[in-house]
Amino acid sequence: MEKTPEELYKERDKRINDAIQLRIPDRVPILMSFGYFPAKYTGITCKDAWYDYDKWLAAYKKTVLDFAPDGLWTVQAFSPGALLEYIDPKQTKWPGHGVSPNHGHQAIEAENVKADEYDYYLTDRSDFILRVLLPRTAGVMEPFRMLPPLSSLGFGYFGALTLGEALARPEVARAIKTLQKVGREFGKLRPKMAQFNREIEKLGFPINDAPGGGAPFDMISDFLRGMHGAMLDMYRQPDKLLELCEQQLASTLERIEAMPPVSGTRRAFMALHRGSDGFMSLKQFEKFYWPGFKKVVLALVDKGITPCPFFEGVWDARLEYLLELPKGKVLCHFAQTNMVKAKEVLGGHLCIMGDVPSTLLQAGTVQEVKDYCKRLIDICGKDGGFILTNMPLDFAEPKNVRAMVEFTKEYGVYR
Amino acid sequence: MGTTPEELYQERDKRVTEAIHLRIPDRVPLEIALSYFPARYTGITCEAAWYDYDRWLEACKKTLLDFQPDIGGVQPFFPGKVLEYLDPKSLRWPGHGASPHHTHQAVEGEYMKADEYDAFLGDLSDYLLRIYLPRVSGAMGPFGLLPQLSSLGYGYRGTLVLAEALTKPEVAKAIRTLQKAGRELQRWRSKMAAFSREIEKLGFPPLSQMLALAPFDAISDSLRGMAGTMLDMYRQPDRLLEACEKILGMTLKRIRATMTGGGNKRVGIPLHRGSEGFMSLKQFEKFYWPTLKRLIQGIADEGLTPCVFFEGDYTSRLEYLLELPKGRVFGHFDTTDIFRAKEVLKGHMCIAGDVPCSLLQAGTPEDVKDYCRKLIDVVGKDGGFIMSTRGPVDDVKAENLKAMIDFTKEYGVYR
Repeated sequence: MEKTPEELYKERDKRINDAIQLRIPDRVPILMSFGYFPAKYTGITCKDAWYDYDKWLAAYKKTVLDFAPDGLWTVQAFSPGALLEYIDPKQTKWPGHGVSPNHGHQAIEAENVKADEYDYYLTDRSDFILRVLLPRTAGVMEPFRMLPPLSSLGFGYFGALTLGEALARPEVARAIKTLQKVGREFGKLRPKMAQFNREIEKLGFPINDAPGGGAPFDMISDFLRGMHGAMLDMYRQPDKLLELCEQQLASTLERIEAMPPVSGTRRAFMALHRGSDGFMSLKQFEKFYWPGFKKVVLALVDKGITPCPFFEGVWDARLEYLLELPKGKVLCHFAQTNMVKAKEVLGGHLCIMGDVPSTLLQAGTVQEVKDYCKRLIDICGKDGGFILTNMPLDFAEPKNVRAMVEFTKEYGVYR
Repeated sequence: MGTTPEELYQERDKRVTEAIHLRIPDRVPLEIALSYFPARYTGITCEAAWYDYDRWLEACKKTLLDFQPDIGGVQPFFPGKVLEYLDPKSLRWPGHGASPHHTHQAVEGEYMKADEYDAFLGDLSDYLLRIYLPRVSGAMGPFGLLPQLSSLGYGYRGTLVLAEALTKPEVAKAIRTLQKAGRELQRWRSKMAAFSREIEKLGFPPLSQMLALAPFDAISDSLRGMAGTMLDMYRQPDRLLEACEKILGMTLKRIRATMTGGGNKRVGIPLHRGSEGFMSLKQFEKFYWPTLKRLIQGIADEGLTPCVFFEGDYTSRLEYLLELPKGRVFGHFDTTDIFRAKEVLKGHMCIAGDVPCSLLQAGTPEDVKDYCRKLIDVVGKDGGFIMSTRGPVDDVKAENLKAMIDFTKEYGVYR
């Protein structure tokens, strides 16, 4: 008798959790990310991921069912392109809006907090976010620059009047109208958007989308100071940078603390950006990156969540630090890190996940893919503690992707 | 003796300034807080100061010209309709909660709760926008539904979250109401500015161009209320002191930003809760005086003249005032023993007082002259004195006020 999606979900979820918790599963699990691949695979455009919810969901469902991995570590869910056009975000270009309809979206980094704005941000973050940061990151918010500093509204009813006068300015009033229009539409769309991942899970595929958190340093580098700014700050104003890391960490921990308790095993995808070998020295890593990141991971573990950090870039030189994370409670997902070395260092302590290259899946042959997977399974899969995954495969050859999944299912069985 | 209004303005301003600087002017200057007296004197209602611009301006002009003090502060016009939109909880004004024939009233409350110091100290902007202002203005009530500003998140997601919050019907309505109040106030702005110009054009300089509060008073008046602040002195003294520090910093920053250029500009500081009836000398030393002293000093450092109104009785606290810079501060006393004040402060600070309003209301012109004679003889000796009443003269008898002014002009000449 064929298994129901619920049964398959449980079976796959158990396989993944067994690997993470260092029990030997029935076979090497395959956790995948399809990115924009469903567009190429089903013959639609990447733009549909931003403009046509139903079409994109259908394409995703078909893709996931056809390839049937054990689960997904992330999903390129639907994003509301039409609404974002009103918002005019300065830091995202997406298919059909600044990027070709057939390519993935792009993040544009910017220095949203200037080098001399640390004090302002650290001491009056709410005001900075409303009147400086959001106006810099979204065109529609631009007129909010005209609002008076919130802390200057003063005590007593007069503050309401000062605010009223500012809200009555024609530019501000227009911005509010636009925001309300977007807000109304988004209010209708949000529940549907939240259902996207659930629809896929209902097919029997668990997704690592529990609420997580990032490394404090990455939040600063990605969203506030930019890569350039954060790098200079490590030399020019390290104390301010550390203070900001602390503030960012406190917010993240507060948010995690406030989360409702989780039931069962829930896995949280975490993307790490700027802590890798190429971006900072080991000394800088120790000072600016590792302490905050570690605390976020530990807080998630305390909450009963399994953090699944995606160590983008190369982490060869910092694998030993990961031994400080609690045994069997974290899934270490590597990109260009040497998987053999990772197994050597972390084997028996943490489950590792990697790393079939995008280039191989796009330009290689089926045999090459199988050879690659075989080596991974032989070396990293030994005695469990390994999950096989792919690097982004937006443009991969479907037959190579199929070979990766099928070979692993067949060859990866533990006997 | 000048004849044109410009000349009279200069002459009056010089007279007051000389007294403050402890130089001997031509005669004892007169500073009368006329406040709502023009209503009674010209036979109109106090309500006109909030609802009938032209009539109120006329009444003020006539009163000033008839009585001719050197400085005669009148209740400035403020459009009551604007306030009706705001629905302020902390104010009743003639025709709206207070009788048309009486002055406006401040309604104190615990608008900031005992356990909100952390929010106030740590995230003031957010606290004011979402918690405090919604309590003091009915129109702003729904702003309590907005999400915490620091939790909006970065990138376009922050804008989307804000957009959705702004569409809540209560929030949208609150914004419309505030905008109405703001637009209405905009219509009045130029007339309100014209009001004080019209008074100055008649030859009467203002006592002060802006107001500042002792940090402790700001908390007691507008945030914690009298009861709350009194309890805090015992229950959470450190938090209270921290809040005083924060408010001191904000107040000085505001003054520096508004009052540029120095010159003869005067800053009014009405004191409320530092007097003998409200706190012990030990509490005064700990909670009230340190930040008040730094406020006064800070204002003087900007080249401005702090004009402190010591409401209540400060007889036991007079020696503290010797710590203030000599000849740079003006102290107006209420029920303090003015003769003792002269003894302590002569040669150090110009003082003003202390004709009781009760005498002006219930006494005879002869009583008034006797009182003023003694003041001029003793307190006016060698300058450093400005003839004034203990408080605003809202309800006094016109003939008595006239007697006070005319007698001082005649008898108060320095020869």
